[in-house]
Amino acid sequence: MEERSLHIVIVGHVDHGKSTLVGRLIYDTGSLPPEKLEEIRKASELQGRELEFAYIMDNLEEERKKGITIDIAHTFFMTKKRRYVIIDAPGHKEFLKNMISGTSQAEAALLLIDISQGIQEQTRRHCYILSLLGVRQIAVLVNKMDLAGYREESFNEIRNEIEILLKGLKIIPSYIIPVSASKGENVALRSEKLTWYKGPTILEALDNFDTLKIEDKGLRFAVQDLYTVVGEPVAVGRVEAGVLRKGQDVFVLPEKRKARITKIKKYLEEDMPFAATGDCVGIRIEGPGLKRGQILSDKILSTITDTIHANIFWMVDKEYRLGTPIIFRCATQEVKGSIRKILKRFDPASIEVVEHNATTIKPAEVAEVEIGLEAMVTVDNFFEVPELGRFVLEHAGYPVAGGIIV
Amino acid sequence: MIHMNDTPKLLVIGLDGVPYTLITDYIEKGYLPNFKKILSGGFRLHQMDASIPDVSSTSWTSFMTGVNPGEHGIFGFMDLRPGSYKIYFPSSRDIQAPTIWDIIGGTVNNRNSALYGAYKTSINNRLRSIVLNIPQTYPAAPMNGILTAGFVCPDLKKGTYPEYAYNYLESIGYVPDVDAAKAAEEPDLFLKEVFSALEKRALAYDYFFDNESWDLFIGVITETDRLHHFFFDAARDQGHKYHDLFVSFYKRIDEIIGRLFTRFMDKTGGMGLFMTMSDHGFTVLRQEVYINSLLREGGFLKINKQKEYFEQIDTGTKAFCMDPARIYVNLEGRYPLGSVSAPGKKDVIRELKDMLVSLADNNGNPVINTICENGDLYQGPSSDKGPDLVCLANDGFDLKGTLKKEEVFGKGQFSGMHTRYDAHCILPGNIEMGVRLHIENLAGIILNYFSKERTWNT
Amino acid sequence: MEHLTILENKSIFIIREAYYRFKDIAMLWSVGKDSTTLLWLCRKAFFGQIPFPVIHIDTTYKFPEMYRFRDEYAKKWGLNLIVGRNEGQIEAAMGPGKGSKLDCCNELKTNALKETIGKYGLKALLLGIRRDEHGIRAKERVFSPRDENFKWDYENQPAELWDQYKSTAAEDNHFRVHPILHMTELDIWRYIKRENIPMSELYFSKEGKRYRSIGCAPCCSPIESNASSVDEIISELETSNTSERSGRAQDKEDAYTMQKLRSLGYM
Repeated sequence: MEERSLHIVIVGHVDHGKSTLVGRLIYDTGSLPPEKLEEIRKASELQGRELEFAYIMDNLEEERKKGITIDIAHTFFMTKKRRYVIIDAPGHKEFLKNMISGTSQAEAALLLIDISQGIQEQTRRHCYILSLLGVRQIAVLVNKMDLAGYREESFNEIRNEIEILLKGLKIIPSYIIPVSASKGENVALRSEKLTWYKGPTILEALDNFDTLKIEDKGLRFAVQDLYTVVGEPVAVGRVEAGVLRKGQDVFVLPEKRKARITKIKKYLEEDMPFAATGDCVGIRIEGPGLKRGQILSDKILSTITDTIHANIFWMVDKEYRLGTPIIFRCATQEVKGSIRKILKRFDPASIEVVEHNATTIKPAEVAEVEIGLEAMVTVDNFFEVPELGRFVLEHAGYPVAGGIIV
Repeated sequence: MIHMNDTPKLLVIGLDGVPYTLITDYIEKGYLPNFKKILSGGFRLHQMDASIPDVSSTSWTSFMTGVNPGEHGIFGFMDLRPGSYKIYFPSSRDIQAPTIWDIIGGTVNNRNSALYGAYKTSINNRLRSIVLNIPQTYPAAPMNGILTAGFVCPDLKKGTYPEYAYNYLESIGYVPDVDAAKAAEEPDLFLKEVFSALEKRALAYDYFFDNESWDLFIGVITETDRLHHFFFDAARDQGHKYHDLFVSFYKRIDEIIGRLFTRFMDKTGGMGLFMTMSDHGFTVLRQEVYINSLLREGGFLKINKQKEYFEQIDTGTKAFCMDPARIYVNLEGRYPLGSVSAPGKKDVIRELKDMLVSLADNNGNPVINTICENGDLYQGPSSDKGPDLVCLANDGFDLKGTLKKEEVFGKGQFSGMHTRYDAHCILPGNIEMGVRLHIENLAGIILNYFSKERTWNT
Repeated sequence: MEHLTILENKSIFIIREAYYRFKDIAMLWSVGKDSTTLLWLCRKAFFGQIPFPVIHIDTTYKFPEMYRFRDEYAKKWGLNLIVGRNEGQIEAAMGPGKGSKLDCCNELKTNALKETIGKYGLKALLLGIRRDEHGIRAKERVFSPRDENFKWDYENQPAELWDQYKSTAAEDNHFRVHPILHMTELDIWRYIKRENIPMSELYFSKEGKRYRSIGCAPCCSPIESNASSVDEIISELETSNTSERSGRAQDKEDAYTMQKLRSLGYM
């Protein structure tokens, strides 16, 4: 079994069966301790009903409230391949900020659509957020197939709609799976009622997803701070991509100066010959002093610019007016600037452009913008180096928007 | 006559602690134009009796189950674990009888009650209810519809069913209760919270009213009770610093009710059943009376101060009192340090009554109005759990069950106290009970409305 | 990369971000396993010399073993230790026997912390809370602003995307920063084992009992357990299924209810 767990988020309209699906995943993977299951079964019986899967979720929620802590089940479940963590991402429109915060931590997403309800406003909004957060591993689950008599035609109809919707967002879903979460069809076990469907079940789809691999990219090391350790200057930072090696010659960006890595250190450990992607280390260099925000790179593959062209989503209740100062934050870089042009703004629920060459961005809207910065920054395509391809805009101390560079 | 094609809908607005007499006064003074309009349109304002004891937890449970505490099992906010002096706080799980929404929603499960027995066969049990802020409903049990619990609700999420309703409430900053601890020290802040909590409730009521399908809608406002506890002396005293604010709170409630009434009548084409009610009345508190101090003076109660709460009860205790004036005989076999034998109980009760009846304040005003025995008040399987005696006080004397006081009389920060006889209820004029209305009657009126054998027509 | 190394890197990144943003920062050390692990991570983040104070809120009711442990390691690790106490209430003999437990916690913990924050003008605190500790923690952010009443407005938290943390805004009194939010109880013990972090002896079984969480002596009770080493604790956790704080949850609801009832004159 893989040691790392995969963080997933389940999104979709609030009534499209999220609790039921989570309950089902936990149940079907045997991630629920037997005595817990028995307890829930008894409670259901007492209330004169069959074991309802949504109730597993509710019950676990309640338990979690009470502080039962061992990391069985709850929002964890396990397959033979690995552990999964389901990130809390509330569906309500009012919780957009929280939904975005949760989804930004996910490596893969399950998008639920109730076949009897079809694509709803919230579904569209969530798809948009997935696309703008750069979540690329997505399985669409067409739920409640039992209510549609497991008919292939019904599924095909909605599948076409979904494909059109996602295509507009440049998302290619990894899978579109007909399921019934409440009946357990195509969740862990292949459905015998959906024999016309040849693709993977939900669990198979999840196990096919990958944890993001960025080790084999070129080096990006983001300088976080400068310390003095036993009288010597040490720069601390994180390897955002590739591998940082002792003795390596690097460019200091955005200035494009050269430097050599002479030491890589973690406290209480031997000096390191290299640091891998994700490592937070201290380094010493030969060359001029470093400062926060600089990026060390073995080759200059990144874009060095003071103009960012990106799609952003506006997360706060106050609208943005062209020219209002913002701070651009990407990795450890922070630069003042403002949005110079709002090329388009849209309502993600309708996916229609509301306005070209706009002067404002309204709450919960998405916009294609050009951001002008007061200094050069080092950025990458999100899909090359995620950490240098995503950014947050801050105004008056608050994060107001996020975006990715593609 | 029954209209089979009716889709009956029923709206109940609960106003915690709002007295009949105050509504009457305020209507007369012109503060409540919407109440006035409703009453002139075929509705009638009744004075109503609350449960005994007249605390919210007991009275609301009587309302929602339509049975007496001997059947529903809730005698107060606090009770003792069987065979011990350990306190616990009864929750919705301790209610022994099914609620009206369980009965009409098909979630009675294995509970039973006299009322349920009477309607079992005639009731439509697929009806959906919205139940907002009724005290003593925490934690929220699964039901057909939406429920968010009222006082005491330590955790809004656990207090709300289903989860999406919680998500909504959380999103609007809905609070289950205001912080009454603030009232004494920061009255202005407290009052501000009272007003803002009311607005949140109104907002939530509107939202569920519009966005959910329902047959029975019960929305309760509890801020009235909070306001009364601390500022009831302002209700009629025009010179009181907070009089205007007090009246403006009632005016705001009048507006909210007026609006809900109009929208309800529009929604049902004038066919729906509308009612407002309260769980008890209120009057001005003059003195607090600490019954346990009296019991100590009379030699009925011995206290061990090393311990906490009712575990302080020491050997030699013959009787003790829990809020508000529930008196329990310390019976052998019932309590670990029980010192009264079953045959001796009668004598202790007589002695207690003698002492209580003669209790008077410094000016010679008698404190106790009526002393009821368990058997007069409670019938049903939980009767044995109930107090042996319950005292009802004359207006102005608030009976208390604290163990912390030395003296018998005192005055704290509270200016209002509950009354049993002055709850209110507004009902369509054609509903005739023939007798004085009691809070236990309301559930029957509601079930009758949803019954196939409805005995009156609206 | 190894699971524990991923967790460690994440924590160290957060600690360094916090220190970069706030020079008026301190760490809260309860001497329990979570905050001792956090302390260890801080030492790693700053190569052995923690550049800010470490605060111990002393209710005077802690276990003697905890005071000994605190003083021993404060010295050994060269910590700038601040002991925060609500002297007024301690003199007034506040304790779990007087008033309710909630009052006691409020005075000796919360108010002592408020005083300490005020006295040293702190703008941020590093805390060792974990997301799996309690349901409400699922909503916690890594950087969490608090107002002057310590109120956590979790309905209106600023968004937190990726590793970009909010860290400035005039109206906030101080920030709580949670570098080990992403660790579970089991992760903590596995990390303690890997790093060989010293832990209070109270966690290890003596005569069939040990403490699973430690705090004030009168309010903690040990669990039945024979686990007398870190390894044994890990295997106990891997197989057991009861809650670290299960006993405390009902207490908490009851405390809330009591406080509510009292404020309306009941009890």
